[in-house]
Amino acid sequence: MHISDGVLPISVTVGGYAASAALAAWSARRTRSEELPKVAVVTAAFFVASLIHVPFGPTSVHLLIPGLAGALLGPSAFLAIGLGLLLQSMLFQFGGLTALGANTLMMGVPALLCGVFFQRFKGRSRRRQSIIGGLAGALGTALAALVLALLLATGGEDFFGVAKIALAAHVPVVVIEGLVSAFTIGFLARVKPALLEPAFVETRKAVHA
Amino acid sequence: MPEVTEVVLAAWQFTALLLAPLAILAAAAAGLRRLVRRRGVQTEDPDWSVPPLADAGGATLFHRWDIRCKLLTLIVYSFIVASLSRVAPALAAVAVSLLALVLARASWERVLMRLLAISGFMAMLLVIMPLTAPARPGDTVLVIGGVDWIGFNLRGLAKALAIVAKAVAIALLMEPLLTTAPLPVTLHGLTKLGAPDMVGQMVLLSHRYLHVFRHEAERMAAGMRVRGFRKRTDLETLRAVANFLGMLFVRSFERTERVFDAMRARGYRGRFPASAELRMQKADLALAFAWLAIGAVLVAYDRLGG
Repeated sequence: MHISDGVLPISVTVGGYAASAALAAWSARRTRSEELPKVAVVTAAFFVASLIHVPFGPTSVHLLIPGLAGALLGPSAFLAIGLGLLLQSMLFQFGGLTALGANTLMMGVPALLCGVFFQRFKGRSRRRQSIIGGLAGALGTALAALVLALLLATGGEDFFGVAKIALAAHVPVVVIEGLVSAFTIGFLARVKPALLEPAFVETRKAVHA
Repeated sequence: MPEVTEVVLAAWQFTALLLAPLAILAAAAAGLRRLVRRRGVQTEDPDWSVPPLADAGGATLFHRWDIRCKLLTLIVYSFIVASLSRVAPALAAVAVSLLALVLARASWERVLMRLLAISGFMAMLLVIMPLTAPARPGDTVLVIGGVDWIGFNLRGLAKALAIVAKAVAIALLMEPLLTTAPLPVTLHGLTKLGAPDMVGQMVLLSHRYLHVFRHEAERMAAGMRVRGFRKRTDLETLRAVANFLGMLFVRSFERTERVFDAMRARGYRGRFPASAELRMQKADLALAFAWLAIGAVLVAYDRLGG
């Protein structure tokens, strides 16, 4: 779920922008400058992936995939997510223009943490990668929901109810996201394991050099 | 200090009060969705189409406005609107945005799509905030006779309404902001305003590839449907969706490699040539000042009126 315009206190929106800009700058520095176009193209793939809806009983949920983005992109994930959210806001109004900074923090920080988690524990076997990938996917969504609730709660005690319900609404998404991430990582481990290597951008550099 | 005013209602009145706005919102959203969907082929997925961010062609005030002035003014104005706290000034901001839409001759269909996108979040706020906002001295709370665990706080409702009005006001401004100039020009303007060059380039590239990958995803989805795949709430669906995702990633990564090699072969060194020459005139600045003055009036109304 993205935060719309006008929900957060103005200090939090401006602070969110500042923090996001700093993290995005760090993320961009960790990515080689000529390879930025590559991150841009991967961003587009993630954007399209987040349009996929999965049925859940009578309703459907759309995938958030911060965990997968972190696992696949490492430090570049924050930049990719910020760009993706900027585009979603520009094209679809998913998340407001003024809340963009806060939304980027909400999805980007979990992605970075999941990236570290996945690379650290993924091990060698396909089964283990699948399980760790699933955990990273679930963790990413759970963390994003937690940050969402915290951001909403900055609006004062009037927003506590909204924050609690937003948190509860994410529980099924966490489960679905975890399962889909596990299957996706399993699929990638079978089909193109190079994508799961630490910062695949780096390995390509070695090939080009 | 005035105490909390409690207005006791019968259970059916309370329920009607809760359900009536919900029903109206749901009906409006369903109507909008049908309106939007009528053109496209009926598919299982809500909406795949990526709306274009292109110059619709026109010579309105917004089309002529210097891109730097337009971006800076409307972004600062959006933050001003986001800082409002009462319902009346927020509604005034909606009126200003509607005026801007008329002036920019924006496409109403795309405006409706944007409103539809925020309707879910807004409906949630409208329902939950009145029920969960804690009662403070001076509040009016509607309660059911004999039930004390739930109450409809009018202050919460006012707060939710103000948020909805602010969000709508800013969402309505996005069409005049983004579609009255071609995207490369808009991004060029953003760079001139001090955003890193790389942001503009990456947005441009992502936006370009969005359409390519959407097309790819559509083909893959069509293939799955032809083979009899239907989405259900079960593990098999999740597995199929995951494979779909994985395939999308693999194909886009591979495509990226080739595109990137091709770009470098054509001399790409981390920068595109500048796309347009910008000229700022007095009229541009005058419009910017006038617009920000409206914002200042709104803030004054917000602070003084309460």
